Amino acid sequence: MLFNSISFIVFLIIVLALYYAPILNWVAKKRMLLFSSYVFYGLWNPPLVILLWISTLVDWTAGKKLAIETNNRKRKLWLLLSMFVNLGFLGFFKYGNFLLENFTALLNTIGIEFQARPMDIILPMGISFYTFQTMSYTIDMYHKRTERARTFLDFALYVTFFPQLVAGPIVRAQDLISQFYEAKKATINQFLWGVFLLTIGLFQKVVLADTLLSNTADDVYGAGKVLHGLDAWTGTLAFSGQIFFDFAGYSTCAIGIALMLGIILPDNFRYPYAAIGFSDLWRRWHISLSTWLRDYLYIPLGGNKHGIIRMYVALMVTMLLGGLWHGAAWTFVVWGALHGIYLVVERLLRSKIHIKINAFNGVFLALLTYTLVNFTWVFFRAREFSTAKNMIASMLFINDGGEKIVPSFDILKVFVLITLLFICHWMMRNTSMKEVSLKTPAWVLGVVWGIMLFLIAISQGSGEQFIYFQF
Amino acid sequence: MNLKHSVLIGLLITVIALITWEIYWRNQGFTPTLDDNEALWAVQRAKVDNLSKEDVVLVGSSRVHFDIQLDEWEKKMGEKPIQLAAGGCSPLPVFHDIVNNSSFNGTILVGVTPGLFFSTTFPKAQPWAWPQARVDYFHNRTYAQQLNHFFSLPLQNSFTFISETEGVDGINLKELLMKVHINDRVVDPMPPFHTFEEIRLDRNVRMLKRMETDTAFANTVKRVWKFFMSGEGPPPDKKATMSFFLSDLEKFKARGGKVILLRCPSDGYLRDFENNVTPRATFWDELVQKANVPAYHFEDYTQLQNLTIPEWSHLTADDADIFTNEFLDILIKDQVLNPSKSN
Repeated sequence: MLFNSISFIVFLIIVLALYYAPILNWVAKKRMLLFSSYVFYGLWNPPLVILLWISTLVDWTAGKKLAIETNNRKRKLWLLLSMFVNLGFLGFFKYGNFLLENFTALLNTIGIEFQARPMDIILPMGISFYTFQTMSYTIDMYHKRTERARTFLDFALYVTFFPQLVAGPIVRAQDLISQFYEAKKATINQFLWGVFLLTIGLFQKVVLADTLLSNTADDVYGAGKVLHGLDAWTGTLAFSGQIFFDFAGYSTCAIGIALMLGIILPDNFRYPYAAIGFSDLWRRWHISLSTWLRDYLYIPLGGNKHGIIRMYVALMVTMLLGGLWHGAAWTFVVWGALHGIYLVVERLLRSKIHIKINAFNGVFLALLTYTLVNFTWVFFRAREFSTAKNMIASMLFINDGGEKIVPSFDILKVFVLITLLFICHWMMRNTSMKEVSLKTPAWVLGVVWGIMLFLIAISQGSGEQFIYFQF
Repeated sequence: MNLKHSVLIGLLITVIALITWEIYWRNQGFTPTLDDNEALWAVQRAKVDNLSKEDVVLVGSSRVHFDIQLDEWEKKMGEKPIQLAAGGCSPLPVFHDIVNNSSFNGTILVGVTPGLFFSTTFPKAQPWAWPQARVDYFHNRTYAQQLNHFFSLPLQNSFTFISETEGVDGINLKELLMKVHINDRVVDPMPPFHTFEEIRLDRNVRMLKRMETDTAFANTVKRVWKFFMSGEGPPPDKKATMSFFLSDLEKFKARGGKVILLRCPSDGYLRDFENNVTPRATFWDELVQKANVPAYHFEDYTQLQNLTIPEWSHLTADDADIFTNEFLDILIKDQVLNPSKSN
């Protein structure tokens, strides 16, 4: 079910009515939330709920055993079981065809004639998110960094909690399960702030991403032609805005919906396009994934504790796998590799050059970071390397006489919107929406709220899927 | 921060703005209409799986969609057919889907608009891709999508501003912005294409009265047809399309299914173009001869001629009623179809 759909609004109203009606005790409310979460997921493809159940059962059992087992070998085996099942699901459903394609290509390269028919596999929505979330519980249990979930219901709800089930934020066990132990109820202000966040999230998704930016990005990346530099930049900038508003929109909706239930989810985005450098970017973009990769991949690979070379290797491996996490294609690996290279170069430069950041050089460095980020988005958005190559060449104005396909108004629209986005991120860099809203008069907030709701209503069409669902 | 005040102000502004917006578009002549989208089509397609041998399914392009009126059919035959025809579509993907993915063994009426029927079997070409997208949507639709469609129907029927209409008549924010042009950096050569029909829940389509009374409006549609005809499009692929259709036809006949071919009326420049590019003798007649099924060309029946076709391709609503009645009389006379006993 999509947040930007009418069936979800009906679903949410029913869930909230049951949650706040004085007919259920806390355990019954949690059962209702769990059931609703399965309905939320099952309305997309009912049989794939079974994967969620398997993941839940395996990690619940592994967590239980890890809590009491003292034999290190057995503890490791329980951890491996959890990783085998979760990564196995991910490997089969997400990377099955990719592995098969590459295996076939490899055999053909070494002269062995082999053709394989692609497997007809459905990618379960949000599988990358919930497998990472449930694995984090088992890994934390293995390292004794978190307590065992008190009841199966609490654990199952942690794995399946519908606001963040299919596209995050990826929440750690200690941050979410403990909130299920005692009855939760949003205060009026929390509830209304949750509704406000839901409105902002929908506005980002429906109006900014789908209505104002997606067409331009789709037209440019689907043109199949060598484009004029201005068109290539317009398409890439449009995509940079689209993916931010799409994904941040989802996270903001998720945080808002959870808050309406009295549950607090962590921030997933902190104005990333105002980042100064790439370390800063990854502290601001998809925070729950970058911290997951840091804690469960980069640090176990050695992190920065075993010398510079090992650190750079760990960084590159983490970013390459992070790229692959986003999609089963080499273009995503290149996207991850570029980010890895940027991070390595940044660390090298930081060790040689020390700059005191002020408002002037800060804006320049943020703009430079954002410009470099746009080159990575080309590989993220392009379906083939040939498209990416043409786009990069056009963006560097190397292609002569590229075709013009974007109308002037669309260019203006994208540049104005992206400039506003950048200014907004820069101004909000060191603050939060909550802080700003506290300083804003109620009537101003009300007018902004009303305008957003109106624009959502007049934009809403068939309801586009969130981009991150495919990851 | 007083969020209670904010939410009240926000709701007030939203309600006032939406009422104003709705009134504005109604004053501009727009009315609440259903969208002929994939979800609406899929509801009808789903019914095919439960039909009996006596039932009829209509496939084809916009001519069958406009010219066959379901109410007239029901009055005469006792049962409404299922309308699966859609504008700009080759009938082949939908026919293929019914033959291969359902057990239906009743009657399929196939509308033959030569420019679309014989156009292509290339999956990415528009006459194929559009109907195939509907077929794929039907097979892949989720329960959530079905619920969305169900909940959206009363809204579509009540509010003008809730509209998926694309192009010059589009009034959602995306479409409104697409109509803003500030210079000629990129020129769209296609003339503006107005919507000239209204659709019902059962996908029955009727031409708007305005087409009969407003010649200038009708001319805008004629200009679009001329634009399509003047382009250097690919030539018809008679061999591939006919072979694809005949293969499915044999399969359908083998399980007891019946097929009727129908060539609906066209006129003026469009008919001349069709006669020139897809001459009857080498396209329609050859198809009829190879298919060996009941086939009806409007030119062969005086009662199917001299009807009003304001934009050369589709009948006015009243004449579509006449056409449906006359056509059914012919079918009954030929004993191709019989009215149900309850009628």
